[in-house]
Amino acid sequence: MQELLAEAAAELFSRHCPPALVRRLRAGGTDEGLWAKIEEAGFLDALRPEADGGAGLTPAEFLPVLLAAGRFAVPLPIGETAIARALLGGAAPPGAVLIAMPAGAPLQARIPAQRPAEWAVLPGDAALLPLADAREIDAAAPLERRLEWPEASIGQAVPEADWLLLGAWLECAVMAGALEAILESSIEHATVRKQFGRPVAGFQAVQQQLSVLTEEVFAARMAAQLGSIGGGEGPLGLDRARVAAAKTRIGIAAREAAAIAHAVHGAIGITEELDLHLATTRLLQGRALFGSADHWAGWLGRAYLAEAAGDFAGTLDFVRHHLAPQETA
Amino acid sequence: MIAALPLGAIPAADEAFRGEIREFLRARIPAIPPERRARSWMGFDAGFSRALAERGWLGLTFPEEYGGAGRGPFARYVLVEELLAAGAPVAAHWIADRQSGPLILRFGSEAQRRFHIPRIIAGQSFFCIGMSEPNAGSDLASVTTRAVPEGKGWRLNGAKIWTTHAQHAHYMIALVRTSGTAADRQKGLSQIIVDLSLPGVTINPIRDLAGEAHFAEVVFEDVLLGEDALIGEEGAGWAQVNAELAFERSGPERIFSSAVLLDCWAGYLRERGADAATERLLGRLLAELATLRALSVAVTARLVAGDSPVVEAALVKDLGTSFEQAIPALLTEALGADPEAVPPTALLRVLGYTAAMAPSYSLRGGTREILRGMIARGMGLR
Ligand SMILES: Cc1cc2nc3c(=O)[nH]c(=O)nc-3n(C[C@H](O)[C@H](O)[C@H](O)COP(=O)(O)OP(=O)(O)OC[C@H]3O[C@@H](n4cnc5c(N)ncnc54)[C@H](O)[C@@H]3O)c2cc1C
Repeated sequence: MQELLAEAAAELFSRHCPPALVRRLRAGGTDEGLWAKIEEAGFLDALRPEADGGAGLTPAEFLPVLLAAGRFAVPLPIGETAIARALLGGAAPPGAVLIAMPAGAPLQARIPAQRPAEWAVLPGDAALLPLADAREIDAAAPLERRLEWPEASIGQAVPEADWLLLGAWLECAVMAGALEAILESSIEHATVRKQFGRPVAGFQAVQQQLSVLTEEVFAARMAAQLGSIGGGEGPLGLDRARVAAAKTRIGIAAREAAAIAHAVHGAIGITEELDLHLATTRLLQGRALFGSADHWAGWLGRAYLAEAAGDFAGTLDFVRHHLAPQETA
Repeated sequence: MIAALPLGAIPAADEAFRGEIREFLRARIPAIPPERRARSWMGFDAGFSRALAERGWLGLTFPEEYGGAGRGPFARYVLVEELLAAGAPVAAHWIADRQSGPLILRFGSEAQRRFHIPRIIAGQSFFCIGMSEPNAGSDLASVTTRAVPEGKGWRLNGAKIWTTHAQHAHYMIALVRTSGTAADRQKGLSQIIVDLSLPGVTINPIRDLAGEAHFAEVVFEDVLLGEDALIGEEGAGWAQVNAELAFERSGPERIFSSAVLLDCWAGYLRERGADAATERLLGRLLAELATLRALSVAVTARLVAGDSPVVEAALVKDLGTSFEQAIPALLTEALGADPEAVPPTALLRVLGYTAAMAPSYSLRGGTREILRGMIARGMGLR
């Protein structure tokens, strides 16, 4: 089933979300029917319980869709919307939903830049508000926008949930997908681009860099899978420690991998024309949003220190009990 | 290109084995000072290995018909993980259990299996690996140690170097030239089993930078070997050695070399508390450990399924050794961050040893650069 979903998502995005559309969408253009296709595919109701008319998928089962969205740099908030629908049930409005981060004052929010949507969940205000009502008070492209809503804005209450955790999990999944895209692109470029009469992939220094890139991408993918394991106490059954570990590890992977990908691409990688930046700016955003690797690493470190010391309770035990690759029994 | 690894899981039956191992370790490990446990799989203690043998824990995956426990790779995974995380002194049996035994089972004759395997399982035969030579390191195909046919057997001349615990081992499996010349490279190489008690074998221990002699130079002068010294086929040594190195790379051992240091430090933080930067460092190391362990379990699951994930194993090994090396590097900075703090000397002794030896993690069993070359080949770059 996982594979079918992965294939369906890749097929949909490769056909209906070409890089040109990604660029237009990021710049605020219309979606040219992409959202309707995503809706039709059932992705947006995938996390909603079956009793509620959804597909009732777990985060782990839904992961392939998010990975594919990352790989194709789909700028629409598929995961965020699916989560909002799962948590709001029948009360969820139609349209794309973003998860915002608090901006320090009521009715103000930080939202990811270049991600068109109709609604935003403001965790601090426990409200879902229409983006059409908001005023942009500041922006820091390509990272985020600062928005403010008027008091009179009519929204809707959202259930209390750990929205930071949800946002962090989504970023992990999408980043792991984006990392696969930059690996493919880097390998492809290195085998095609010739210097000194041969493909640059023939140079050992380049090969060694690409091996490190491969390692980081594998580690990130594994961390995303680890972070999606259920049975936890967080929303959707997500496990806080596993998401913390994933966001930490993927944050580190993204930093290293993006640097190598750019180095291997050379000057062409700095152009608007090449698609590489669609993935690397997405990685940058993902690293910065919903708590960076530093935030989650700090949380994980405190979680370890808060645990009572047993006679063998070292780091392996902590990992076995809280961060194992299978649901904790 | 290689595909992403799906999550693997340790089967419940193998996980259940952990309790028994813990009980065994609880009776033995606390008596060993942490700086000795920091030796990880370099710590030699024949008595400890024999105690494991008495439990039936050597040759855990070897077939029952040769006296093994006939268990799967995950049982061994759990055992090895527990031993290494605790810093148990496993060096005596380590190479025989991990590499030489599986090699003999796979390529050896029936007589070789019947002779060597029960002795390995009993903790009576310790093995060492004779691959490297003074002039053949990464370029292993350039070995010049030579075995020439003599009567029904072989006459061996040459020298091996960096042979871990050769001075305590009973046998060496050596990669030697049996036909052709150096120009033939991989062709004409074979693996032979050398009884290290034979006349003509001289073992000269080499002191390492920590002041110990854990490896040695082994010189062969007209050593006469029987025909049963040849393992596998004459001329097939190169393929066999690569299969052997694949055993070396696929276990959990490339995660835990600095485990004792990490745990001593984490235990110290539990007592003393940590500032925000230290909490982040601890969390980062835990996140890396968890990811590596998940990767390692996933590779083991592939082995159980009958695949040979050679490139994936190289990838996990390279990530693993980088992690193992990052621990002493980062902790050296962290422990000196506050000149007013007074870390326990036991912790500093562990740090001193681990930090000094850490560069070896990415040399032994094939250097980082060689592994990355393998990964690049796996990705279609060469
Ligand atoms: C603690 C320890 C235990 C060991 N135990 C054993 C043992 O029991 N048995 C045994 O046989 N050996 C053992 N070794 C030896 C080990 O296998 C070798 O150190 C290893 O194969 C590298 O060989 P070298 O040290 O001669 O380095 P060299 O091959 O001389 O390499 C030096 C540097 O050049 C690089 N280099 C070499 N060739 C290339 C290339 N083609 N491309 C890019 N870079 C290259 C290497 O990566 C390295 O950075 C042990 C080593 C250590 C440190």
